[in-house]
Amino acid sequence: MATRRGVGIGAFANRNQTSQSYANHGATLRSAHLASLQTQLSVFQSLLHTFAIEHGSKIKSNPTFRAEFARMCNAIGVDPLAGSNVKGKNSRKGQGENASFWTQIMGGDMNDFYFEVAVRVVELCRETRSENGGLIGVEECRKRVGKGKAIGSGLEVTDDDVLRAVKSLEPLGSGLAIIRVGSKQYIRSVPKELNTDQSTVLEVIQVLGYVSISMLRVNLKWEEARAQTVVDDLLADGLVWLDAQGEENEYWSPQNLLDDSG
Amino acid sequence: MTTAPPFQFPSTYSFPPFFTPQPNSATRTSQLQKWSSLVQSWCRHHRIYRLTLSDAIESPLFYNSALRKRLSMKDARDVLDWMAKSEEEGGGGQRAEWIDGNSKTVARIWWKRPEEWAGIVADWVENTGQKNVVLTVYELIEGEGAMSQEWHGMDTDVMLKSLNVLVKRGKAQVFGGEGQEGVKFF
Repeated sequence: MATRRGVGIGAFANRNQTSQSYANHGATLRSAHLASLQTQLSVFQSLLHTFAIEHGSKIKSNPTFRAEFARMCNAIGVDPLAGSNVKGKNSRKGQGENASFWTQIMGGDMNDFYFEVAVRVVELCRETRSENGGLIGVEECRKRVGKGKAIGSGLEVTDDDVLRAVKSLEPLGSGLAIIRVGSKQYIRSVPKELNTDQSTVLEVIQVLGYVSISMLRVNLKWEEARAQTVVDDLLADGLVWLDAQGEENEYWSPQNLLDDSG
Repeated sequence: MTTAPPFQFPSTYSFPPFFTPQPNSATRTSQLQKWSSLVQSWCRHHRIYRLTLSDAIESPLFYNSALRKRLSMKDARDVLDWMAKSEEEGGGGQRAEWIDGNSKTVARIWWKRPEEWAGIVADWVENTGQKNVVLTVYELIEGEGAMSQEWHGMDTDVMLKSLNVLVKRGKAQVFGGEGQEGVKFF
C-alpha cells in the first residue's frame, strides 16, 4: 500500500526510478525505431542505387523513362535537383553526407546530364536572342536541344528536363526564368517584365499566328493608340516581327523561326 | 540551273515578315544573317557565281510566290550590301562583291571565299599528285579530271582570284595572257 501510494521519502526515489525506467525504455524504443528506419532508408537507397545503375543508361537516353524516374523520386520526397545542387562531386566516398544524393546514386552522371542540357539551353537562348528578343518557348527549346548542332549531338529531352535544367541554373543567378503566357511556357533570358497588355497580345499571336492593329481593336475593344503602343513596345523589344507587305501591318511571333538557322 | 533536286528553302522563307526590313536593329541583324545564308546556299545549290539583281528579284530566291511576298530591288540590294561588308564593319563577312562598282546591279556571291577555294584546289592538286605539273586554268575548271569537283564549271574570274591566294602564299604560279592562263602548283 505504502509503496503504491508513495507516501514518505522513499516515494521520491521510487518516482525517480519509474520515470528513469520510462525514459530508458523510451530511448530504447527510439533507437530501435531509428535503427529500423535507417535500415529501411539504406535498403531503399541501395535499391534505388541498384536500380539507377541497372537502368542508368536508359534513364539518360530515354526521356519518358527519365521523367517517370524523376516523378518517382518526387513522390517519395527526393528532389533530385535539391540534391544535385550540393557541390559534392569531389567529396564523395567517406564523407557521404557532403556528396549530393544524386551524385551518390548516379555517380555524377545525372548532375552532368542536367548541366549539359542547361548549357545547351543557355547557348540557344544567347544565339537566338537577336531573333526572338530573348523569349523562347520551352517546346521550341526542347526541339532544338533535341536536334543538336553537330551530327549525333542531339539530346532527347522532355519539356520537364528543360524546366529542370533551367531551375538548376537558378543558384548561379543565370538570369534565366520561366514565364507563362497563355497556355505556353517560355524561357526568358533578358531581364524584362511583360505587362498585361503585352502578354495578352502575345497570347493572341499564339492562337492566330499574327496580329494587326485592327484585329486588336475589334477583338479586344482597345483604342487604336493603346494597341499601337503595345505592338510598338513588343517590336522594340524584338519580340515580334513586322510584315509590312499586307494590306495592313501584321505582327508575327518569331517562335516558329527556330526550326532552321543551322 | 541544273536539274538537280530542288532547292530546300529554310523555314524562314515561309515566315512572312522575313520579306520586310525589320525596324528593330537587333532583329534586323538577325534577319540579314538569315538572308545572307539563304543567298549563299541558293547560289551554291544552283552553282551561281554572279547574281544579277534584276533577275534575282523575280526568281524564287527573292520572290516567294506562295506567300506573294518579295524583296524589293532596294531591299535585295541592302541584303547584298550587307553581305559585301566585312564582319568588322558589322556586315556579313564579304560574302558578296559588287562587280559593277557603284551601279550595284551584279554581284559576285562568295559562297566559298577565295581562300576556301584555294584550300580546296590545293588539296585536290596534292591528292592527285599534280604538283609541279602545268595545267591551264581552262583545264582546271572544265577538265575531266576535275569533273567531280565542286568548282567544276566555275567562273574563270573566281578561279583566278582563288589561285591568286595561292600565288601570294608562294604555292602556285600563274602565267600566260588573258584567256590562256596556265598555272603551276608547288
